[in-house]
Amino acid sequence: MAGIAKNIRALTRQAVVLRSFALRPATVAVHKCLKSSNSLVASNQFLISNQRLVSPVERCYSSKPPLSLKLITDRVLLVLKLYDKVNPEKLTLESHFINDLGLDSLDHVEVIMAMEDEFGFEIPDMDAEKLLKPKDIVRYVADKEDIYE
Amino acid sequence: MAQLPVLGLVSHTRKVQNLYKRSLRHLENWYDRREVFRYHAVLMRKKFDDNREIKDMRIVKDLMNKAEDELFQKAHWHPRKFPESPGGVAYAREVIPPDWVLDYWHPLEKAQYKDYFARREQRKIEFIREWDKKYGKTSPVPGEH
Repeated sequence: MAGIAKNIRALTRQAVVLRSFALRPATVAVHKCLKSSNSLVASNQFLISNQRLVSPVERCYSSKPPLSLKLITDRVLLVLKLYDKVNPEKLTLESHFINDLGLDSLDHVEVIMAMEDEFGFEIPDMDAEKLLKPKDIVRYVADKEDIYE
Repeated sequence: MAQLPVLGLVSHTRKVQNLYKRSLRHLENWYDRREVFRYHAVLMRKKFDDNREIKDMRIVKDLMNKAEDELFQKAHWHPRKFPESPGGVAYAREVIPPDWVLDYWHPLEKAQYKDYFARREQRKIEFIREWDKKYGKTSPVPGEH
């Protein structure tokens, strides 16, 4: 029993660390301690090592969500539809931002910034000035992410 | 994809666009809550729209200089960066080797991927043919590759 008390005291001391971990390994460890009732040091060591082995969340290895041309098109059009200065009824893939949709140059900057935020990479000014249609943006993003289908 | 800009050939519209973009990103650095940022962004847009009709380039230039100065004075100490941009957390994390590296493989290594390299040589010949058709026959300069 003394071993368990010691363990619980250690748990409260490390509360901050443990908050990020799942509770399961700790309870399992306590159960195992109950069964075997090892010496103080050994059980403590066991608890700590067990916590380290189990990671709380699934690791993603910095992979990105899957993209296809259709997904990119949908996302681009959705961002444009949600922009208050664009009329969603007039919006097509071929519509020109300035001539057809009636945006001015500063609105175009805002559109490009929204696209940067959506896809998570920076679009330099040299390229941004050529992206005047939703189709161009789709093409640009697909080229950047190496997507051809 | 981005070409190098020709110095001094940026139009005034592009300069204003660039300034506007930087000001918005600057506001985004300071105001991390979206609704607060939007409020300040609208105010910033108002500032730009007020000076829209000014035709005198001297006044415009002066305004631009003042805006640049203000942006510099109020710059954030730790601006946000996109992960892949220079200064971002994942900048140059993934190094993609250029295509010509494959040409310098050892013949024994190439022999392991016979079909691929046969097709590669074929494509190279086709590319040179296309190039000659488009730009005319080029004679090799002596002493150079």
